[in-house]
Amino acid sequence: MNNTLIHLSSSPYSSLACKEGLDLALVLATFEQPVDLCLSGAALALLYDNQAPNKTDGKQLHKLLDGLEFYDIENIYVEKNSELMRAGNIWSGTKALDSEDWHALFSQYQHVFRF
Amino acid sequence: MRPFLLVNSPLTCSKVPDSMHYALLITGSPYQTKACHSALKFLKAALLNPENTLDGVFFYEEAVLIGNALSQPPRDEIDLRKEWADLAKTHSIPLYLCIAASVRRGIINETESQRYELSQHSLSEGFQLEGLGTLIELMSTTSKIIQFR
Repeated sequence: MNNTLIHLSSSPYSSLACKEGLDLALVLATFEQPVDLCLSGAALALLYDNQAPNKTDGKQLHKLLDGLEFYDIENIYVEKNSELMRAGNIWSGTKALDSEDWHALFSQYQHVFRF
Repeated sequence: MRPFLLVNSPLTCSKVPDSMHYALLITGSPYQTKACHSALKFLKAALLNPENTLDGVFFYEEAVLIGNALSQPPRDEIDLRKEWADLAKTHSIPLYLCIAASVRRGIINETESQRYELSQHSLSEGFQLEGLGTLIELMSTTSKIIQFR
């Protein structure tokens, strides 16, 4: 199966990487290619609730998360116990993996792209 | 220099076929990273083996800046855009720039220039603007895609 993992690791507001990674995920899904997402590092900031970026900060990408299921993007993985995930007020659609499963995740896909 | 990612899992590629079809995805800026330089070196090395076929190179994110015809590197430095264009021409390898990523960064071909009612265009010869669908096609038709970031 031609499945793809998009790994977001960049801050949603310090560059366009997160947005362009999500764009690729949405296009893959539009072409009916199975695609999962995983987030680590600065990209975890994407998951915080109550974000209100203005135009200068960048696009409101958090709102996009609720729409992912309409593209059949249903697996959004994070690593359990990661520092930023303890803060609370986090988007509820993620699946938390323990360290072993997180590291195994990256060899389960035909394509892995990092943004 | 950041390491590149081998994006196909060894689990799915346990048997290497005699003839390998590759594509490259480059996302790192030609100015802030060595992604375009490393990919070029990789491509030159890969082409030494006649059993390797490069089906295309897709530039995304900041990497699309490689296709800016107006950039002028100092004369005593590598002209990366020309190196890419020459190599691609010699080996008939298409160089795709993501159209959305390019247009937002001012890499505009004649068609887009007309669409946006501009008086200039800036896409360098040897490169073409394509949608992400072209990357997805490369993903489906090649044995391996390698990302440089």
